[in-house]
Amino acid sequence: MNYGHALRFGLHLPSDADCGPGRLVEVAGLAEQWGLDLLVVPAGTAGDDLEPSTVASWIAAATVSPGLVLEARPATLHPAMLARAVASLDRLTEGRVELAFRGGPPTAASGTADSVAALGEEIAVVRELWNVLDRGLGRFTGRFYRLAGAEKAAPAHDVPISVDGQGQDLLRLVGLRADEWSTGCDAVTLTQGNRAVDEAARGAGRDPREIRRRITIRGGFGERTGRFTGTAADWVNDLLPLVVEHGVGTIVLDAVERDVAAGFASEVAPALRAAADAVLPRGWSGARVRRSAVRARRLPGIDYEGAPPEMAEVVEPGDPAYARLRSGYLRGGAPGIILRAATNEQVTQALAFARRHPGVALSRRSAGHGVSGRSTNDGGIVIDVSLMNAIEVLDRKTRRVRIGPGARWAEVAAALEPYGWALSSGDYGGVGVGGLATAGGIGYLARGHGLTIDRLRAVEMVLADGSVVRADDSENPDLFWAVRGAGANFGIVTAFEFEADDVGAVAFARLTQDAGDLERYLVEWGRAVEDSPRDLTSFVIVAPPRGGRPALAVSRTMVDSSDPETVRARLEPLAAISKVYAQDIVITSYAAAMDNASDDPPVSHGEPVSRSGLLRHVTPQFAAAAARVIRSGAIGWFQLRSVGGAVADVPADATAYAHRDATFSLVVMGGADEVVDRAWARLSPFLDGLYISFESSLRPERIAAAWPPRTLSRLRELKSVYDPEGVFGDNFALTPAANHPGGSTP
Amino acid sequence: MSDYGHELWFGSFITPTARPPQVPVELALTSERAGLDLVSFQDHPYQSAFQDTWTLMSYVAARTERIRITGNVLSLPLRPPAVLARAAASLDRLTGGRVELGIGAGAFWDGIVAMGGRRLEPAQAVRAVEEAVDVIRGLWATDETGPLRVTGEFYTVNGAKRGPAPAHRIPIRIGAYKPRMLRLTGKIADGWLPSLGFLPEGPASLRAMNEQIDEAASAAGREPAAVSRLLNLSGRFTSGAGGGLLQGTPGDWAEQIADLALQYGVSGFILASDEPADLNLFGHEVAPRARELVQSERVT
Repeated sequence: MNYGHALRFGLHLPSDADCGPGRLVEVAGLAEQWGLDLLVVPAGTAGDDLEPSTVASWIAAATVSPGLVLEARPATLHPAMLARAVASLDRLTEGRVELAFRGGPPTAASGTADSVAALGEEIAVVRELWNVLDRGLGRFTGRFYRLAGAEKAAPAHDVPISVDGQGQDLLRLVGLRADEWSTGCDAVTLTQGNRAVDEAARGAGRDPREIRRRITIRGGFGERTGRFTGTAADWVNDLLPLVVEHGVGTIVLDAVERDVAAGFASEVAPALRAAADAVLPRGWSGARVRRSAVRARRLPGIDYEGAPPEMAEVVEPGDPAYARLRSGYLRGGAPGIILRAATNEQVTQALAFARRHPGVALSRRSAGHGVSGRSTNDGGIVIDVSLMNAIEVLDRKTRRVRIGPGARWAEVAAALEPYGWALSSGDYGGVGVGGLATAGGIGYLARGHGLTIDRLRAVEMVLADGSVVRADDSENPDLFWAVRGAGANFGIVTAFEFEADDVGAVAFARLTQDAGDLERYLVEWGRAVEDSPRDLTSFVIVAPPRGGRPALAVSRTMVDSSDPETVRARLEPLAAISKVYAQDIVITSYAAAMDNASDDPPVSHGEPVSRSGLLRHVTPQFAAAAARVIRSGAIGWFQLRSVGGAVADVPADATAYAHRDATFSLVVMGGADEVVDRAWARLSPFLDGLYISFESSLRPERIAAAWPPRTLSRLRELKSVYDPEGVFGDNFALTPAANHPGGSTP
Repeated sequence: MSDYGHELWFGSFITPTARPPQVPVELALTSERAGLDLVSFQDHPYQSAFQDTWTLMSYVAARTERIRITGNVLSLPLRPPAVLARAAASLDRLTGGRVELGIGAGAFWDGIVAMGGRRLEPAQAVRAVEEAVDVIRGLWATDETGPLRVTGEFYTVNGAKRGPAPAHRIPIRIGAYKPRMLRLTGKIADGWLPSLGFLPEGPASLRAMNEQIDEAASAAGREPAAVSRLLNLSGRFTSGAGGGLLQGTPGDWAEQIADLALQYGVSGFILASDEPADLNLFGHEVAPRARELVQSERVT
């Protein structure tokens, strides 16, 4: 019986204490060069061998690609410490580690019911400490081991746990708990062991294919004297039945002679793969079989078995990666499946999968920061393009750069800085390119350099029907128009081409000022910004009075100049508004100002509630209403950003971002829709239009606020061309014009 | 004055953060390039924000060429001494003798218990350290005949094969503050590794603590100088005139460190910082200047 596993070939590293570092590196380097899949770091049997987890960590740093199988003797470390060590090494190596339990030479205690039970507990403790899918602390109470509320830490990937040995109790444990059974290469042992393992697995509701079978062999080339001797063809003849009839999927050579290892890697491995391919229906390239515990977390309505096989990564609710990919920066999510695409073809396949699930929510994610929370969902599909994050300079003379949607703006800024360039983005370096550059991009250089989309020259994108198109001013110009302000309605952009700006050193000022007189502060801040030349762009957050301290205005202001006199002249009017409690003014680079992002995966819960509006002037009437809202405590966040300047130079019909006449962009956030909406009702009379990236409301009338009538009408015409079925229906979804001949309701 | 006449050396004390895991590796490389003699990592395995310290040390060992590496200090209750001995000896062999061993009796017992470790009373913890050191040195002593047998209250080894032997005599240093542990340090350790921030009266505490170590060493028939004195430091480099201990220019730091060396016998200075700029100043400016100052003072 064969279990459909892709064949893997590995090599034992030496473990004797006299094996010097040079020898270890040499063996590992050769294995890597020969393309072997695994390096096994053995626990050794001499008693004074090199300690395997030390060797594994050390050799990990000296190699790049092979998997590292760390052999551990049961009951040697605290299992929680073993879990920590393996998780750490897996993270350091970005997912190359496997864990293999291997008993020592048989003793009175090994293989007994107690030793097997203890090993079962050891595995359970390790898995519990890795299980970050269930939030909270790790707990376990067993006969041998105990966890009393330990912090969990996941490895980088689903680290397989292999168990080596014989005996009914142990084989049963393998069937219940292990991902791989490891044994010698005796056919009778394999037959009987497979039977016991499979039976235990089925009894526990597992698919026997979840469990790999590994053998460790020794041999040599030359004269044929028995199994694994003679020629490479002889080896293949010896191995093929073990693969075909006994389901062996992993073959490890325990030999350090260079010529034996070389023959095994470069002759036996490819020939055996070809031979297995020829006789097995699915060959050696079988699909990954997820553990039953993972399948148990699948959601109804999603065809998991039909997930596109060519994705960079398919993440299900039971996969460890789910814990760091489920949520966005502000919105807690529980999607049913996350398809991580790294190429246009993969995006096309992911979209085809989504189209086969018409009733299931579809979200798209570049880096997952989106304030409106549209990059995740509950129970639906997420197409994640965060891996498409390349940043490439196409032409130095025209400052043309090509950037993937998954790059984050801090990375973009850092990549452009050496050229003396920058692209105005937002105020946080962790924001992804894709979401922002399809909506607008209101950043720290906005008044001088415009919106981010104003520097966009072309896109490559996947449309709803899966086709890949380029859009710029001459090719698909309608689409290019629509992408700049309403891109989420039309496809998934897989590459952006920008013309970067020459931006040298800038001044970046962080001021914390008294806003006890809220109305006055807001009006004067607005006036100071409007009166200032375009090289100044300022954002201000106003915090309500709390615990005896007055209201505070926390502003971040960039001056696109490094000349001290200019900087002082620009900042003085802001500083003069009210008492300054704290200030930090630096001459720095745009990249340094953007270097403010955390690399921690988001752990958000719940739904964000944010409202966006655009404003011509900070009038005393608006300021009075705003002050009332801020003081009421109904909202937790109030931010004004300056727009205007170069943003307003672009005609309103040039892009789908049409509210060019706005001078300020307002965003408020709060805890509950009803409360925020009541507060918002006081502000909305002063507002005209909104910025879609900062608006979490799904109410249809917000569509009309997002785009003025002429823009909306053109967008809906284009929606009927490019996405008539409304595949992209999650983010300010337009109704195609064809469905509404009147064209007057959004 | 209790200068033990040891050569001065300088190290870094880096947070073993797991987010992202390559950051401490880079800081170790920075330490080496800054000319520091040692890189060290704290060990709090119950903290999920940290990497496993031994894993990180082993990984860093392969990426560096010259710098010495130690835990600062390893949490003994979660690291069985027999495994620790073999791990340390293995890494010492792989690095050609760059490994040192800093151990502690255990600090945050709730965390240790949460991970499955055993809670010990202070007196027990001291005895456990002594037993652990016996096990570790016993396993390293491959020149002794017969397997290792230790029957202890906390650790028992029933006839284990000795080895592997480390590539050099790995110094064992103990993080100690209280009298019992200080006496044990004097009795058995190769070094004493406290943190300045935990000394109740700052450097002034060193005198009385040194005396306890010295007395215990003498009582055990050892030279007090056999126990080197190390100190974890933290501070801030400023461009202007200083505002206190390790709050000034590199020149100020060097003078203060020279003073700590000459007055209190501290010979290993380990800076806790995750800032490359600090590590560079410490290695390139403070260290050579402090060595000069101590050298000229010792000569005269």
